[in-house]
Amino acid sequence: MIFLLLIYALIIIINVPQLIKRREWRELTAFFILYTIAFTLGLMYVLDIPIPSPMKALQHLIVDVLGIKYPQ
Amino acid sequence: MSIEKGKINSRQLLFLIAGFVQGSVLLIDFTVGITEHQTWMVILAGLALTAPFFLSYVVLAKRFHGMNLVQINDIVYGRFIGKAVSVYYIFFLLMTLSFNIRDVGELYITFLMPDAPFIFLLIVFTVTCAYAAIKGIEVLARVSHLFVVTGIFVIISTFILLIDQMDFSNFLPFFELPFARIFQGIHIMSAIPFGETLVFLVIMGCLNNTEHMVKNTFIGLLIGAISLLIVSVRNTAVLGRTQCIWTSPSFQSIRLIDIGTVLTRMDFLIGIAQTVLIFFKCSLFFYALLISLSQLFGLKTYLPLVLPLASIEVIIAATVFQSPVDHAMITQNAGIIYSAPLMFVIPPLSLLIAKIRGLPKLEGDGET
Repeated sequence: MIFLLLIYALIIIINVPQLIKRREWRELTAFFILYTIAFTLGLMYVLDIPIPSPMKALQHLIVDVLGIKYPQ
Repeated sequence: MSIEKGKINSRQLLFLIAGFVQGSVLLIDFTVGITEHQTWMVILAGLALTAPFFLSYVVLAKRFHGMNLVQINDIVYGRFIGKAVSVYYIFFLLMTLSFNIRDVGELYITFLMPDAPFIFLLIVFTVTCAYAAIKGIEVLARVSHLFVVTGIFVIISTFILLIDQMDFSNFLPFFELPFARIFQGIHIMSAIPFGETLVFLVIMGCLNNTEHMVKNTFIGLLIGAISLLIVSVRNTAVLGRTQCIWTSPSFQSIRLIDIGTVLTRMDFLIGIAQTVLIFFKCSLFFYALLISLSQLFGLKTYLPLVLPLASIEVIIAATVFQSPVDHAMITQNAGIIYSAPLMFVIPPLSLLIAKIRGLPKLEGDGET
């Protein structure tokens, strides 16, 4: 947990001051959107909260709902 | 507005494509369990089937010279549908990159470093790819020939060292398997090593000129395909039908090398080669993903996105599948089906629409 917080603090220290200094607000917004997603996923992983797999959802949609699959 | 300032020439593009296709050498194992000793045929059929679509990628990139995939989608489909199509592509890039990162983790956990923590291997590998992506396409292109030469050297040297153990009757009988399995194998081959070359729709925007572009891209594709073919022929000739029961037929066949009890246990060669080649492929994927995402957000640079995106990739790679079996099962069905429109429908359709509407219109014509 501490390791995770350190890594994410480091990511902010590396990126944010430069973006603010150069007044790149659009880049800063995009950075924070991805950063929030990354931090949430990281936290869920560390706390052993199950992360839903997009491929499992796709597999369910394509194979179970639409019935498109190769014969086994 | 172009995000990437670096430029590459068409000869460098040749090596980029060859190295990229060689990077899928580990992934032919997905097909081996289905097509067994006929895998070599499936590789050739996959190449033949994908070639016209690959041509459509190249012609599209040539027509929209200097533009990346997101810009092309915006022009061809309009602002809203174009963005939706780009999001579909970005999802594909995001997921495929995470699968490839996971492949490296599984390779190390299974064969090379079974006691190492899985997440640690994923982090180290992803950070290395992120570093390469930060350096930009020009640097990757300048070293691309080294990756290709390394790949070819390992593939050919292991083939020669295993010649005395090869039994070419292992290829018989031809056309034994049911058509459904052959078709699935061709679909996997055309989607994974060859269809994934659609990432070059992002990269080809950095070409400084389009002269000899079609010729060089096809030579690159052919070098990659021949490498995969040699690996497949080697594995089948050495292992025969038993290749279907191994997690990695390449590792198993290389372990059989025994030249006068001096040259033995050479599987580390395959370990090094596969890591190097997948690293190259993942770096190109990472770079394409960064460019596409930055273009979608309308950014001037992709650098602020590198570290958050690398973190997301690590977590997706660690959690997307429960096991290597789960990985293979999903890739062999949903994985290749959901990506089919991106590879075989949208690029030719974009080209057709561009041709009918006369896109891209020159500046001063009232449109982009």
